Amino acid sequence: MTDRMRARLRPRDLLAESLAGLFTRPGRSLLTALGAVLGIASLVATLGIAETAGNQIITAFDELAATSVVVTTDQGFFGNAPQATLPWDSEERLTRLNGVTAAGTMGSVPIGGLLTRSVPIKDPLGLTEFQIPMIAASPGLYPAARGSLATGRWYDRGHSDRADRVAVLGTGAAQRLNITRVDQQPVVFVGDHSFVVLGILDEVERQPELLNALIVPEGTARDLYDYRSPDTIQIDTEVGAASLISDQAPIAVAPDDPSTVRVQAPSEPDDVRAGVEQDVNAMFLILGGVSLLVGAIGIANVTLVSVLERVGEIGLRRALGASRRHIAYQFLLESTGVGLFGGAIGASTGVLVVVGVSALRTWTPVLDPRIPLAAPLLGALTGLLAGLYPAIRASLMEPVDSLRGAA
Amino acid sequence: MDDPLIRLEGVGRTFRSGEIEVHALRQADLQIDEGDYLSIVGPSGSGKSTLLNVIALLDRHTSGTYRFEGTDVTELSDGARTGLRAHRIGFVFQSFHLLAHRTVTENVILSMLYNSVRPKERKARAMEALERVKMSHRADFLPVRLSGGERQRVAIARAIATDPAILICDEPTGNLDSASTESILALFGRLRRDGLTLLVVTHDQTVSSHADRTVSMHDGFLTEGAAA
Ligand SMILES: Nc1ncnc2c1ncn2[C@@H]1O[C@H](COP(=O)(O)OP(=O)(O)OP(=O)(O)O)[C@@H](O)[C@H]1O
Ligand SMILES: [Mg+2]
Repeated sequence: MTDRMRARLRPRDLLAESLAGLFTRPGRSLLTALGAVLGIASLVATLGIAETAGNQIITAFDELAATSVVVTTDQGFFGNAPQATLPWDSEERLTRLNGVTAAGTMGSVPIGGLLTRSVPIKDPLGLTEFQIPMIAASPGLYPAARGSLATGRWYDRGHSDRADRVAVLGTGAAQRLNITRVDQQPVVFVGDHSFVVLGILDEVERQPELLNALIVPEGTARDLYDYRSPDTIQIDTEVGAASLISDQAPIAVAPDDPSTVRVQAPSEPDDVRAGVEQDVNAMFLILGGVSLLVGAIGIANVTLVSVLERVGEIGLRRALGASRRHIAYQFLLESTGVGLFGGAIGASTGVLVVVGVSALRTWTPVLDPRIPLAAPLLGALTGLLAGLYPAIRASLMEPVDSLRGAA
Repeated sequence: MDDPLIRLEGVGRTFRSGEIEVHALRQADLQIDEGDYLSIVGPSGSGKSTLLNVIALLDRHTSGTYRFEGTDVTELSDGARTGLRAHRIGFVFQSFHLLAHRTVTENVILSMLYNSVRPKERKARAMEALERVKMSHRADFLPVRLSGGERQRVAIARAIATDPAILICDEPTGNLDSASTESILALFGRLRRDGLTLLVVTHDQTVSSHADRTVSMHDGFLTEGAAA
């Protein structure tokens, strides 16, 4: 047998035959591709939205986390050394550092279970008395914790120096005490001491325990109670300065032994980003994968139907000299073509969805450019795998049987 | 080449479906030389198609030896048999088997996809084949718009376009009226004069009478001559 006598099929002819097969029933081919379109579109859209949303979380998260440094006296689990103290002038020492935009000290005041009330009369039933924690804070804590006041004002250094009986209420504490306005200079009582409420703290981005507390100047706390030293310093830095400040802060506040204080610096942004994206992506990927699987089953189904319908054509081609391989290739290429087409349309649809959702949410659409490029290939691969079984079925048909079947 | 084109020696084909064995072809001896015009007649179920499929390499015989152009095809691989079909054998079916969505020319070209005809030559060879079957005036028609006889002539054009060693036809006029049958018979006569080897299975006495030689089949047995 000479090589010249081998059955052959040029790649161009194979491609043309497969395309002809697809265009013979354009409506059906389109419907078949729809499964892949939906699968790929949801995959691209979910990936894109996950990435866009993830990016959004990161931007919000980054900015806040990357500019926060917290210094505490907390020694952790192994802290059997004597409790370190933070100096009263930590705020001044730290605000002198380059890159610090605000710093403030705070600490819990030991008031020994005293109840707080907003009216002078002692209620015998105690219904208007509440256990509200008292926190002493330096004036700089307000900007350092990124607070915002619902009404009134924050106290200043003068109040602290004179040990004035003034306070700021966290919004939660104010609600319990039923205080909503400060223009009439309301007074709250803690045991026998009264405090004039200067303002109500509406929100803080850091140190959320402030919202449920009665906040007093440090000088006042020292004067009235056994308040020895702040235990926490909140520092707000410029973007990018946090890691430098977290190195410098311990030296600034504890020059004798910087190791006695603990610093909480922001984690590396890239780690955070990767972590969040992985969580979001895993879920969405499963969703998209399931839709793609459904699409693949659709393609497999229709290709199989098409093989069974074209038994006569298969027999004819075999009689004309097509080998089993040629038959298999033809059907594989058809299903791959459907998948590729579906993938391309799906990728475009997915990108449009990402852009649309982003526009609605006024987000910046973010999509790895490799995704829309890889999507049609994934569609093609899906079509290829889906066509495998029908193609093998077609190639295993005996020419005689397929010719008889069609007659 | 001294070998005959086709030589069958004791060729049999047995179908097995579970316990049941059907001896569709038994101990067939047959020789076909180049330029022969041979017809096979016999009642329905006598094994004519079975014999034809074995000769056309569409089916494998289960006993005996079959030489095609001197080559024992019993031992040939599936790929090699496919290659022979692509290059050396033209097959015509009772039911035409034209692809409905392709034009006449495209249907003829289909037979040249799987062999060594160069892509540039295909169109010209298809036109030449259509010329020989007198169908070139319908080159751009779709099969649905052709009569049965015209469709069979296109199918014959498709089979001869590859320049095969033998044209094998299974009941080529089985679906045709007498006028169309006449035109096909006239065409066979012309092809025969051009030197093509013809093997035709038929029920029709008029068709077999045009052949140079007739063999009969009965219950899987082959006998020379147009026996009753
Ligand atoms: N694949 C098969 N499996 C089992 N038996 C078969 C198979 N193909 C053919 N036969 C049997 O072999 C015998 C011969 O069949 P064949 O098709 O060759 O007859 P034929 O002479 O061509 O008949 P007709 O004139 O009706 O076309 C029949 O009895 C048929 O049932
Ligand atoms: Mg038959």
